[in-house]
Amino acid sequence: MSRTGEGPDSSRGNGGRAHTHAAFSALLEDSAEELYESAPCGYLSTLMDGTIAKINTTLLNWLGLDREDVVGRRRFVDLLTVGGKLYHETHFAPLLRMQGELRGIALEMRTAQGARLAVLVSSAVKYGSEGDPLLIRTTVFDASDRRAYEEELLRRRQEAEHARAEAEAARRQAEADRQRLADALAVLQRSLLPETLPRLPGIETAVYYHTASPDRLGGDFYDLFPLGDGRWAFFLGDVCGKGPEAASLTSLTRHTLRTAAHHDPTPVTALTTLNTVLHERYSASGDPRYCTVVYGILEPGRDGGPATVQLASGGHPPALVLRADGGVDLLSTPGGLLVGVLPSAPVVTAGTTLAPGDTLLLYTDGLTEARTGPTRASLYGEDALYGFVAAQAPTTAQELVTALTALLKGFGEGLDDDTALLALGVPGIPAHPLPVSDDPR
Amino acid sequence: MSPLSLTHRDTVAGPVLLVAGELDFVHAAELRRQVEGLVLHAGQCLVLDLSGVEFCDSTGITALLAARQHALAAEAEIVLAAVPAHLERILTIVGLVQVFTLRATAEDT
Amino acid sequence: MDIRRRNNVRITGAAQGPVVMLAHGFGCDQNMWRLVEPALAEHHRVVTFDYVGSGGSDLSAWTEERYSSLHGYARDVVEVCEELDLRDAVFVGHSVSAMVGVLAAEAAPGRIGAMAMVAPSPCYVDEEGYRGGFTREDIGELLDSLESNYLGWSSAMAPVIMGNPERPELGQELTNSFCATDPDIARVFARTTFLSDSREDLARVKVPTLVMECSEDVIAPREVGAYVHGAIPGSRLVTLDATGHCPQLSAPEATARALLDFLRNLQ
Repeated sequence: MSRTGEGPDSSRGNGGRAHTHAAFSALLEDSAEELYESAPCGYLSTLMDGTIAKINTTLLNWLGLDREDVVGRRRFVDLLTVGGKLYHETHFAPLLRMQGELRGIALEMRTAQGARLAVLVSSAVKYGSEGDPLLIRTTVFDASDRRAYEEELLRRRQEAEHARAEAEAARRQAEADRQRLADALAVLQRSLLPETLPRLPGIETAVYYHTASPDRLGGDFYDLFPLGDGRWAFFLGDVCGKGPEAASLTSLTRHTLRTAAHHDPTPVTALTTLNTVLHERYSASGDPRYCTVVYGILEPGRDGGPATVQLASGGHPPALVLRADGGVDLLSTPGGLLVGVLPSAPVVTAGTTLAPGDTLLLYTDGLTEARTGPTRASLYGEDALYGFVAAQAPTTAQELVTALTALLKGFGEGLDDDTALLALGVPGIPAHPLPVSDDPR
Repeated sequence: MSPLSLTHRDTVAGPVLLVAGELDFVHAAELRRQVEGLVLHAGQCLVLDLSGVEFCDSTGITALLAARQHALAAEAEIVLAAVPAHLERILTIVGLVQVFTLRATAEDT
Repeated sequence: MDIRRRNNVRITGAAQGPVVMLAHGFGCDQNMWRLVEPALAEHHRVVTFDYVGSGGSDLSAWTEERYSSLHGYARDVVEVCEELDLRDAVFVGHSVSAMVGVLAAEAAPGRIGAMAMVAPSPCYVDEEGYRGGFTREDIGELLDSLESNYLGWSSAMAPVIMGNPERPELGQELTNSFCATDPDIARVFARTTFLSDSREDLARVKVPTLVMECSEDVIAPREVGAYVHGAIPGSRLVTLDATGHCPQLSAPEATARALLDFLRNLQ
């Protein structure tokens, strides 16, 4: 702009041009020194050992220092905070020696009043004609705002990392809690059902249990245990409701029946005791809860001969007997009432003999109430079950349960309730036309 | 899935509750709440019109039993009216036909 | 593991000459020795290397556990000695490396036959009856300084600290400078350097030792040099006419002269 005839003022008259020229020159002559001293950044020059040879007014003002106290008396590192000194000695000075220049290093200076000044420093070494280092020129920019911004960024990053770590810890805790709960539920569930069935002389047994609820606590139950006199007690049932509440009812039912059976195993007595216990515990206090249950006693025959069964039912679907000749009998107990509803409930008994090749089947209504269509208007139902079972007869306990398990799996989503199956069979005498499995599973 | 719908009206003999839809784990509690909120006087008769019930599981049965207890506590009677065949079959299996009075229609004869 | 690659080992100078091993301190890498290396290399075999975590070392070999103690760095020295099968080498350690050398000489007797300590300090923090020159708060300031320079290195770093540290082009920018290290590694090295106390190790030094202090050094003042000299039995003390903590850069001729003088007297 100071070159005449080329600046934006070239359209003016000659005299004006001369005047402008003079003004610019004056400005420039003044500004060489002025610019150095009053520039919006700090300047200083030091000897190679850091002794300050020259420093501008801006930097002196920032630091609150007098020129006489600085020039020739102090070194650049003396202006820095202790952290700045350490950084200067371990990074800044070596880098500058090696590279000859350095840009944008963040340091902190200390003012005469003891305050800290965040700065960005750039330095360059001036070399002599022989390539020998003569002095160091340094510019200093006030970086308070920038440093505050960086500290804010840093703080945010640390906060974000902290939050991430906390979220991760919470997720792990939740996962651990879930696992502990699942373990506890599994332990509880095992207390509701026998882990394995005992082996009975001359009797083949098979069970299947399907759990519908996601918390794995079922509302159906079964058991089979020795009475000690050669006879065996068995029961299978269904409590009202679902989830933990149903599980506590199941637990009470199972242990009451077991205890009652050892006291007096007669089916009517056992179920009457259960009715009294449940009624007193729940319905009498305005919380009607109940179960349906079939309870029976089985006496295996000698040497694989016919076994006798006596059973009682409280509101439970009838047991089925698949005969060796292919027929199916219902062990109906009409009039048996839900157990636990009334203070004293009618219990109805039935009995049968299981000849070789006969199989007794107990089931819960999850099987017959399974949906076979999109709505509950189409349920599998008793009639279909009877037809299915008739098509299996004669069969063994294990084969029957296997066939019914496949049937249940076929319902898919339609099977939305717990389902228990218990089959007890007297192995048939191998004869024509079908070989009968004697698998004791 | 049909949600449960409950319609309540009062007659000289006592309240009549028309129950329609599904009495299952999800909805049976609603019937229980409604019934237990009904004011019954000694000698009255609570009628549950079950003609519209499409499904009833063990929790539905529990709700019916709770209704029975509520009525008995007020020295009132309870009647199940217009019970559909599928529900009557269940009530028979579980023995409740002996416990409840069943009637063909909600209207007293 | 390839130790030579891991520690970026370089060997120069007279192949049959006595071995001089140059070890850098906290802050930079083996380039620190560039100005004195030629003088030494005339008659000596010169070995330089970078500690794991610094310079051209293999950063994947770095673990916070190992390098949170000076013993971890001493293991680097011993492993380099073993890899090159050095015997009676003269170990020249700058700053904290002088203390690393003390540990290495003790851990592998016979590998290191003599030591030259350049601007050493066995303890930077003031303790009772000892003046290291710094307080613990001062060291905290240095750690802040490291952090802010990681931030301030370039304005392009902002996206990095906002959660994108994997951008390779930014990593490139950082490694262009030989003093640049991963900030997490630098923080660990700084803490290990400035907060360790090796005073008790000095009395166990058994090899001929030269202590080289600078006339003006804010990190290792002269009284610290006198302390080291007094604590190592039979050591020699040389005061270099040099300002700052890195005489091998600010006064390379004087540094090389003092080293050569020491090396000559060993033979």
